[in-house]
Amino acid sequence: MDKKTAEEKMGLLESYIAKHSLWQYNSRGWDRELQNEHILGKTKQILCGEKARENDSYSDKYYWSEAKTLVDAFNKYFPWLKETSKEDIAVIMQMLKDKMDYTMIKGSLNKELTKEQY
Amino acid sequence: MPYHEFECSKCIPERLHHAVDKNKGEELTDALPLGYLGTIPGTISERGCAYCGAKHVIGTPMKDVIHLSHGPIGCTYDTWQTKRYISDDGNFQLKYTFASNMKESHIVFGAGGMLKKNIIEAFKAFPSIKRMTIYQTCASALIGDDIDAVASEVMEEMPDVKIFTCHSPGFAGPSQSGGHHKINLAWLSQMVGTGEPEIWSKYVINYVGEYNIQGDQEMMRDYFFRMGIQILSTFTGNGHFDDLRCMHRAQLNVLECARSAEYICDELRVRYGIPRMDIDGFGFEATSDSLMKIGYFFGIEDKARQVIEEETARWKPELDWYAARLKGVKVCLWPGGSKLWHWAHSIHSEMGVDVVSVYTKFGHQGDMEKGISRCEPGALAIDDPNELESIEAMYKLKPDVIFTGKRPGEVAKKIRVPYLNAHGYHNGPYKGYEGWVRFARDIYNAVYSPIHKLSLLDISKDEIPTDKGFETPQMFSDVNLSDEIKNSDVLRKCTSKFDPIPGYRAKMQKNEYLFPDPVTGELRTVPLEKLLKNKVVDVEQE
Repeated sequence: MDKKTAEEKMGLLESYIAKHSLWQYNSRGWDRELQNEHILGKTKQILCGEKARENDSYSDKYYWSEAKTLVDAFNKYFPWLKETSKEDIAVIMQMLKDKMDYTMIKGSLNKELTKEQY
Repeated sequence: MPYHEFECSKCIPERLHHAVDKNKGEELTDALPLGYLGTIPGTISERGCAYCGAKHVIGTPMKDVIHLSHGPIGCTYDTWQTKRYISDDGNFQLKYTFASNMKESHIVFGAGGMLKKNIIEAFKAFPSIKRMTIYQTCASALIGDDIDAVASEVMEEMPDVKIFTCHSPGFAGPSQSGGHHKINLAWLSQMVGTGEPEIWSKYVINYVGEYNIQGDQEMMRDYFFRMGIQILSTFTGNGHFDDLRCMHRAQLNVLECARSAEYICDELRVRYGIPRMDIDGFGFEATSDSLMKIGYFFGIEDKARQVIEEETARWKPELDWYAARLKGVKVCLWPGGSKLWHWAHSIHSEMGVDVVSVYTKFGHQGDMEKGISRCEPGALAIDDPNELESIEAMYKLKPDVIFTGKRPGEVAKKIRVPYLNAHGYHNGPYKGYEGWVRFARDIYNAVYSPIHKLSLLDISKDEIPTDKGFETPQMFSDVNLSDEIKNSDVLRKCTSKFDPIPGYRAKMQKNEYLFPDPVTGELRTVPLEKLLKNKVVDVEQE
């Protein structure tokens, strides 16, 4: 898959997340980093048929639940994912995480993200 | 996404960075309205104060509690009965409000003695109520009354009562949002962990940021119970004081209004390791996704799917009846803090309504991130608008209806724009599948009301039509509909009862819900009294 196609596909996934997923909007930057890393990481693992559960802790269950719900939606709205190779999915998901890290954290204009305490 | 300059606010240049036009292709990193800042001198805000945010929004929906304001009587009166946070056991929290009634002499000589007398008097007047919350106000905060010491004295003299104190005077933040923050953390620090609950299901949640507006909580409770989930506490609508002392024993915090209650979820996650799961209880798809998410967490996705299928089959034809008639309706979505993002995408995708503006009175920048992401390009996003800006926006955007609070709602009506109450609702509940259809019905009735059409006529200059007889909303809404839709035998109008909540309470009384035993997993019913009020044992404090 060429870069432009990957970017277009990533954009579709990003648009869906921006509109539907509340987990990306936690109020602190460090918290958003954790959310992006765990939920998008597990989403990629599920899409690529990899093991996505690490342990039986509540937090791992939580991240997996968000990821599983996201995968359901991706499969419903973006049927091309089923025909995309695991390698390409991994590339798209990495681009997605980089983009979300920028939009929601590094490039964000939200001044509350850098406050230390809740 | 350029910042939007209001003509009326050119003389207040600081306002420029509080409004943004969302344009196609632009991103949140291009522009974001400022938020959660002090109101700018010279602009008249529609906000509430931090005391109001603590007491009115979060504290008082608790149902088995005397809610007492330590201050002038106006503070408690003006935060009383303005939101319909009902309860399933008699609405004590709505019927009564309490104040210590501070006057000038108390400001000079102190009001601690008078407060103690009033606390005891209130408990004696309502002997069945053994729990109290006390709210500091500007007056009692400024003179430094020690309400904690007074509360401790009373609890020593009356060992069967418990008192929570909330230090959130009106000036303790730029808006009511400051009060949300303070009471969240105060409850966590003072009360959570002081009780131990009985756990009677394998799946246990706290339902947080849910205020049972016209029965929202009871609607969602039905879904959770059908999935076999124990609601350990609801923070705070229809919630028991004692249940909320046990929040530390849940496996998951299910969070609805993140604006008012994310703080306690975040801290419960840090201190007790309980995950925070944000959900949307508004809209078919959003509610379904939320139930599925919870289902996945507990490994009961089959139960979630069953609820979703049953509810969708029952209510979708009714939602679609309204969706066919609401397509292209323009709305200004102007609520307080969270409904701009709870509703923006769902009313567009499921009802065809176009959101031309979102605003928030007391939201933070995070709420604007969500609201802007969820509305379509072309919308105007405004933080903490003043009345003139609201009027200017309405004249420019020409919305068909506004979803907002009572104060700006009355302003809208004066310029002939119908409004729906986004805070207390018109004919709620609006949550869940049935609630969402009720919301669609309210939008429909607001937009197509014949009386509203009449109000657009100015008898001083317009010609008054005398050839028109009786008119109904459907005569206006169906003009451009195809025969296929008009004559559909699948689509139908809302069949929800005038008040659906008694039906849900009657269902509770039947007690047919099955819950898995926390140890064996065996499915069985749980005694009704436990469903209604959990058993809580006091923890000895060191």
